[in-house]
Formats: sequence, C-alpha cells, structure tokens
Amino acid sequence: MGDRVRIQVDGATIMVESGMTLAAAMMMSGLAAMRRSPGGDPRGVLCAMGSCHECRATVDGVRGVKTCMIEVKEGQKIERDQPLGLASLEAKIDRSIRTVEFDLAVIGAGPAGLAAACAAAELGRSVVIIDESIRPGGRIWSYRHEPPLAARSWLERARQAGVQRLQGYTVYRGQPGELEVAGVTDGNRVRVICHKIIVATGARERFLPFPGWTLPGVVGAGALQSLIKGGLDVRDRTLLVAGSGPLLLAVARLANESGARVTLAEQASFADRSGLAIPLLLSPSRWRPALNLWNALADVEKSSSSWVKEARGDGRVEEVVLRTPAGDRVMAVDGLAVGYGLIPESRVAAGLGCDLDESGAVRVDAHQQSSIPGILCAGELTGVAGNEAAIDEGLIAGIVAAGRNPQSRLLARVRRHRFWGQALESAHPLRDEVLQLATEDVIACRCEDVATGDLSGVTSFREARLIHRLGMGPCQGRVCESSPICQRLTGSDTIRPPWMVVPSGLSTRVSQVRDSE
Amino acid sequence: MNQRHHVIILGAGIAGVCCAREFVDRGFKVSLIESGPAAGVQGATAAGMGHIVVNDGDPEVLRLCLRGRELWRERLNEEETDQSYWRSGTLWMAEDDSQMEALKGALGRLQSAGVESELIEGERLFKVEPALARDLVGGLRIPHDGVVYAPKVTANLWNELEQVESYFHTAVVEIGDGWVQLANGSRLAGDAVIVATGISLLDHFTGAAGEWARQFPILPREGHLAITARGTRILGHHVVEAGYQKGAHQVSEEAVACAILPRPTDQLCLGSCRRPGRGGPVDAQLLQRIIDRCERFVPGVSSLPILRTWTGSRAATSDGKPLIGPMPGLKRTWLLGGFEGLGITQAPAAAELLCQRVLGEACILDPGAWDPARMRSAVVGRLHG
Ligand SMILES: Cc1cc2nc3c(=O)[nH]c(=O)nc-3n(C[C@H](O)[C@H](O)[C@H](O)COP(=O)(O)OP(=O)(O)OC[C@H]3O[C@@H](n4cnc5c(N)ncnc54)[C@H](O)[C@@H]3O)c2cc1C
Ligand SMILES: Cc1cc2nc3c(=O)[nH]c(=O)nc-3n(C[C@H](O)[C@H](O)[C@H](O)COP(=O)(O)OP(=O)(O)OC[C@H]3O[C@@H](n4cnc5c(N)ncnc54)[C@H](O)[C@@H]3O)c2cc1C
Ligand code: FES
Repeated sequence: MGDRVRIQVDGATIMVESGMTLAAAMMMSGLAAMRRSPGGDPRGVLCAMGSCHECRATVDGVRGVKTCMIEVKEGQKIERDQPLGLASLEAKIDRSIRTVEFDLAVIGAGPAGLAAACAAAELGRSVVIIDESIRPGGRIWSYRHEPPLAARSWLERARQAGVQRLQGYTVYRGQPGELEVAGVTDGNRVRVICHKIIVATGARERFLPFPGWTLPGVVGAGALQSLIKGGLDVRDRTLLVAGSGPLLLAVARLANESGARVTLAEQASFADRSGLAIPLLLSPSRWRPALNLWNALADVEKSSSSWVKEARGDGRVEEVVLRTPAGDRVMAVDGLAVGYGLIPESRVAAGLGCDLDESGAVRVDAHQQSSIPGILCAGELTGVAGNEAAIDEGLIAGIVAAGRNPQSRLLARVRRHRFWGQALESAHPLRDEVLQLATEDVIACRCEDVATGDLSGVTSFREARLIHRLGMGPCQGRVCESSPICQRLTGSDTIRPPWMVVPSGLSTRVSQVRDSE
Repeated sequence: MNQRHHVIILGAGIAGVCCAREFVDRGFKVSLIESGPAAGVQGATAAGMGHIVVNDGDPEVLRLCLRGRELWRERLNEEETDQSYWRSGTLWMAEDDSQMEALKGALGRLQSAGVESELIEGERLFKVEPALARDLVGGLRIPHDGVVYAPKVTANLWNELEQVESYFHTAVVEIGDGWVQLANGSRLAGDAVIVATGISLLDHFTGAAGEWARQFPILPREGHLAITARGTRILGHHVVEAGYQKGAHQVSEEAVACAILPRPTDQLCLGSCRRPGRGGPVDAQLLQRIIDRCERFVPGVSSLPILRTWTGSRAATSDGKPLIGPMPGLKRTWLLGGFEGLGITQAPAAAELLCQRVLGEACILDPGAWDPARMRSAVVGRLHG
C-alpha cells in the first residue's frame, strides 16, 4: 500500500500509486482525455467497468486495452490514440491457445457467479470462474487492497471447494460445451471445455445522452464508484452525482466518505419514490442498511425531481446546468457522475443462444435454466434485483447445474427479491424531459460519433447501423442501445462473435499443450 | 414504352436502386418493392466488401466491370469517405512464379482492354506495400480500382431519387408477366417488372417461367468477413491473393482466400471464402481459416482487434455470369441479378444495360452475353461436348 510505480504516457514519465487501475491513475494525473473520437473530440472514461471501451489505449504495444480494466505496473508504456502503422503488426501476441476442461464454467465472479461456483463445487463438480475484472467480486464487491467482508467468505469458500479462476479474462466467443477467453492485458487465449455453463455477467449502467455528456470527466454513477475503488482520490473535489436509481445513493455515500464535496440529484420525484415505503416495510432485512445509508448521506445536499441538462467545459467538464424544481442552476464541478439505473448485460448469454425478454434480460425458469439446455443464468442479467437476489439465484443455478434440487425456501426468497427489484424499478420512472435531452447535435453513438439528428427518419437498427454506423464501434452498441433514439428503432442486432471486443483479434492456433484439471 | 409507363422494381439492393435511377432519370414512374426496412441494408449489398474491381476472367465480364467502375467514378467523388469512390487500387499478390505468370497473362488482357495496370516484381512490391510477407514474388497493380461502402452508397442513391414510390417491409410472393403478387395480399401490375432480388432472384416464378427457373437455379455462395478496429493504416491497396479468382469460379466447393480491403475509416475488412450457403451464422472454424490465410500474406494482421464478423451470400448462376435481360418466356418481366461476387462493381453498368434493353435503346455493351435465354444454349452446348 502506498508504493509508487512509474508509468510512461506518450513518452512522459508519471508516478502513480501501485494497485490503482490505469484509468484512475491517468485521471489523477490530469489525463482525463484518453483518446480522440473519429471526429477528433477528446474522450475519457465513461463506464469504468469494461463495457464502453472509451478508455482504451495501446498498453505495452497491445492495441485497444481498456485502461479501466487493468492495474498500473512499473514500466508500463501507454500510447494514447496513435494511428498505428506497421509497428502495430509486430506486437508480440501469443496466439497459441491452451485448453482446460471442467464440469462447469461460470462466467462472472460477482455475487451470483461466486455463489454459483461455490454451490456446484461443494457438490463435487469441477468448476472454473472466468471474470474480466482485475479482481473477483463483481460490481458491488470490487476492491483494491482487501476484499470487503461479504466477499471474503465467498472467496474463502470458493478456495476451499477447489474452484479455479481465470481472473482478467474475457469470454468472447463459444457455444454450449466450449468457451474461448482472452486475457484483458495481453489477449492470451484459453479454450474452456465444459459440460455446463452458468452465465453471471451482471448488469451495466444505462446512459442517456445529453448535451456535453461526451466531455472527459463526465462518467457513469457506478463508474465513479469503480474509479474511487480503483484509487481515484476525490478529496476536496466538487462532484455532482446525478441520474436515477438506488445506485446513486451508494455512490454519493462512497464519494462523501472519500472526502469529496458531493451534491446528489435524482430525477424521480419524491412522490414516485415514496412508493417504496410499503415494500421496504415488508422487508425488515433492508431496514438497517437503509437507515445507515440515510445517516451516511445526512450532510450531502440532495434533491429530487432534478436532472442534468448540460455539461460544459473546455476539453473536460467544468460546469453543469442542473434543472431543479426551483429552476436551472449552474454549478462549477470537478467531475460529474450520471447514470440512469442498470440494464442486464446479456450479450454473452444471447451469443450462446439464450432467449431474452423485451427488457433484454435472459428468460430463465425458477431453476435459473435458460432456453438452451445446459446453460443457466444467475444475477442481474436475468433482471436487476440487487446483490441478495444475485447470491440466491447463483446458489440455485449452482445446485441445479450440479444435478440437485434447490430447497423451496431458496426459491421463495428469489421471488421476494424479484418483487423488491420491481418495486425499485417502478419507483424511478424516467421522466420525459430526461428522454428529450438528446437534441439533434448530441452524440448518440460515441464510438462512431453519430449524432442524434443523423438518425432522424431512421426506423430500423439495420439502417442505423449499416448506413449511419451507429453501434459499429468497439462497444458494439452497449452504450447507445439504451438511448431514447434507439428505443424507437425496430429489429435488433444479431449477436455474432466476438461478443466482446478483445485486444488481439480472433485468431487462435491450437498448440499442443492440453492440460486438463 | 414512354414516360407515362410504370416500372416496378423488386429488391432495393444496389442493383435495384441503380436500376430505379436509370428509369427515374428518363422520367418514368417507378415503384420499388423491398422486403427489408430500407434500401441497401438487406441482402448481399449489406454484406459485401465493396471492392470495385476490374475482373479479367472473361472479356465480357471485364467490359461489364470496367463500365461499372467508370460509372461509379463518374457518379461519386473521389474522397476518402463512406459516401464516395475511394481509389485505393487493387494489388493481386503472387506467392510463386507460376502465379506470377498467371498475373502476366492478366496484365496482357487488361492492357489490351485499355485498363491501366502494371506488374510489380521483387523488392518493389514491399516499397508499394511494406506490410506484405517478404516471400511473395510480386504483384499486379490496378491503380484505378477502388472501394465503395455499398450500403451507404445505395442509401444515398435512393435518397436522391425523386418520385419513386418505395414500399419497404413488403415482400413479393409471386411474379408473373408484368405483375407481382405481394405478401400483404395486393397485386401490382406495370409495363415492366424488374426482378433484382439477389439470391431470391428466381424464387417466385410460376408456370413455364417457374420451370425455367428450376432448371437454372441461383446458387447461393456464402462468404464470411471480419472488420478490425479503426486506426490501422497499414495497407494502401486492396490486397488479394492471385489464387482468389481460381477459388471464385468453383461453385460447389469451399474455398478460402486472402482479400484485405482497407476502408477510408482506417479499418481493414478481412475476407474471404466461398461455399454453398445462404449466409447463416458465423462459422468460427471457417473464420479462423480466413484470418490465418490473411496472416500468411500480411503477417501480424491476425492480431488486430476485430470488432464485428458477418456472413453474406452471393448469387451465382450456373455459368458464373449475371442475368441481365428478359425472363425467358415473359414479355414484361426482366431479370437483373446473378452477380456473384462482383455485383457492387457491376450494378450501375448492368442497370444501364437493362434499362437500354427494356426501352429498346442502343446498348453500350453487348446485351447478348447476359441474356438469360443463353442458359438454354449453354446446357445444349455442353451436351454437344
Ligand atoms: C457499476 C455498478 C455499480 C454497482 N454498485 C452497487 C453497489 O454499490 N451496491 C449494490 O448493492 N449494488 C451495486 N450494483 C448492482 C450490482 O450489479 C448488484 O448488486 C450485484 O453486484 C449483481 O451481481 P452479479 O453477480 O449479478 O453481477 P456483477 O457483480 O455485475 O458481476 C458480473 C461480473 O461478470 C464479469 N463479466 C461480464 N462480462 C464478462 C465477459 N464477457 N467475460 C468475463 N467476465 C465478464 C464482470 O467483469 C463482473 O465481474 C452496481 C452495479 C453496477 C453496474
Ligand atoms: C461476402 C461478400 C463479399 C462481396 N464482395 C464484393 C466486392 O468486394 N465487390 C463487388 O463488386 N461485389 C461484392 N460482393 C457481391 C455484391 O455484394 C453483390 O453482387 C451485390 O450486392 C448484389 O446486389 P443485388 O442488388 O443484386 O442483391 P441484394 O443486395 O441481395 O439485394 C436484393 C434485395 O432484394 C430484396 N428481396 C429479396 N427477396 C425479396 C422479396 N421476395 N420481396 C421483396 N424484396 C426482396 C432483399 O431484401 C434485398 O434487399 C460480395 C458479396 C458477398 C456476399
Ligand atoms: S471506461 Fe473503460 S471500458 Fe468504459
């Protein structure tokens, strides 16, 4: 802790604290702009969880590395946004592929994935967890030095049950029975042969475009949380946390406890959220956390029915226009964190062939089984309902994958969690004003710089993609698909490999090594 | 026919839209019927690479390609954007001396047709394209070949058309002599019906025409492509292995060849392959072979990040040449299709030719070579040895 390492950004050496994510370290060093968009605008971290690809750079010669997903390392060389010439062909990428075999592969080491892996391994199955992040724990339990208490017991259980982990690996292609994964930092490949798969890829943030949302320094709400956990120092910084949903409270709390001056703005009205009172009353286990949260936010300025209309600044966000019931308010800020709730991260499951519902969540039965035999799904990708639901769904999936029957008590608990998830959702309806912030010249697709106005008159996703290039960049539509302009498009994209863009192409050569566990 | 007559075009791929333009330019009333949501976003046009290439395989084919290229260059400006003709040039690559010999033959044919082209041998190859594998022996460069982004160009062409009645989300279920039956139950009749429905070209004929169609079916040939992330400007030309043309003429077997197309967005489109198929899901093994083949010619290219992969299907005829002319046995229904892997290049020329035939105008190209009725004689010809 507190050790410092030297990294080089575009040839200039900077000192950063070890253990930080590279994205957080670069932001701390005033390098919030990590790349330029096709139109030449500076861009930086948006999601801080590996889905938007806005933070990508060339790291130690490997192109397209997501800096929010890797840790700083002594001597690391970062090149920002160089148009790469021939040298890019010489990157030393090991394209051989190693094969491992397990009874069960779990994708995602969040609460759902950890619980699933433990349950199945404790019933005697050989289990591997594949997870893209630097460390296990998923969104809620991500950490830099020590795992939080809740995570520690699961990690210990997993260790004792002999669960293997491929940490820092992305699942980018596969089919029932076989997955291909690539290392986040180096693109190294592993082929995982498995009888069953549990997909536990969680959720991502919903972003809604507004004027100025592409400025560096405008990040997601959950992204701010990840950045702080990744080492970003926010002491004495003025931060606005805005958007919608219960995540804002957790983020504001963490930022406040980390020494920032925090203002919290929720677009839903107080009346909308009072709808939660009854579900909360019916759920005593939530009383204490709710009270704790309330107390922790006592000195944070909070407002309802308030939303960000615009972010302004020269090369990074400097001020924000906040719409409040008392009128527009212009605030000088050091950073803006804005997110509008969560959406299921169901691409991997969809790529494996699982049916989704209208909201994009994977359809599962009470035993967490998807429409594809042998593929189970647990956690937020089956519907956003919080981490207790994720754990219980994970347990069910693990037990079912091991060929056992889960207890009815467990099944009943999941039904209650889902009820709570729905109550949370309906307590935060998105207001029309927020959906109308994306005016003509506001960028809808950040990867390809497609403006909202470019899509006027477009009716289908095919047209938006093929003619206007919406969603044709490395995020593959993960960010823009939730924007209001896309909500009215017909059809959808077919999911084809790669399910997630990995730094080193798709080529793999099967090497002779074949080590099975 | 005169200006008051009504032309119905089926299919809003690049061929159908080019054809609509020909008739609109001459003042005809045109209806365009397309099962997809918009022009250029369904079918082969949405999947093709967009290489505008003068293919020398056959003198007639060469002329059709050349006229197509000429029209694209006339109609689009030459800038590095998705809306234009990017004159990147083609570089055919030879792995050994025998391929080099074949390229010399091609050079002769191209030059006698007036197509600027040059042979590049030895070290000079790596001055022209430094990214190529050092064991290649040479290449054939066709400098005026280029790239168009077919979906966008098709959409733009459609946008510029005034007075076209377009029916999207409208499928044709039956085609007769001067009439079509739509899936929504309605029936349209016109003075000319032009069928440009890609791999479905001959699917909807009944009666005697249907019999003809079954005798000479369209053979769908699937291709796989992948595209890299932006920011890799490592090739100036569309580089294609000399063996590609050979592969392109085998209708039934599976053939994989290196074809790498640089796009004005600084992305590389990697391909390609041919096998029977209508464009199903991406086959990981096949894609792997394509990428490995590309790696053999441009070492390191297989480690560039890939953003997307897709498949598409080319409409081949049994003699490998397009059908541009009247549907045998019908008077008011015409075919415009069967372009295999050259339809983006040939579409404007084929559309021009068809329009000239329908209207009885003087044709710039010899129409006989493309007349669908040739198919009968082709088979007879074969029977007689
Ligand atoms: C940014 C963010 C912050 C959040 N913060 C909180 C909070 O503070 N408190 C709270 O109660 N809830 C929070 N949530 C809600 C949280 O999602 C749930 O509480 C709970 O963590 C869900 O657990 P899970 O196991 O379903 O998924 P997650 O915890 O999201 O875990 C999914 C894991 O899958 C991995 N993954 C995804 N795709 C791939 C792939 N292709 N290959 C390999 N690995 C992959 C991810 O890296 C991740 O580690 C947050 C959600 C988000 C998106
Ligand atoms: C992988 C691949 C790579 C290629 N690369 C190149 C290249 O580099 N250069 C080149 O010149 N060519 C290339 N081609 C070939 C080129 O893409 C095609 O020849 C060309 O696009 C054909 O255009 P089209 O308009 O005839 O057909 P399509 O584009 O297929 O259009 C047919 C249209 O008809 C519609 N339709 C079909 N049935 C019906 C119905 N029943 N009712 C209503 N509408 C219907 C379809 O929806 C479609 O929009 C490639 C093709 C593939 C597959
Ligand atoms: S900020 Fe790193 S991927 Fe979104």
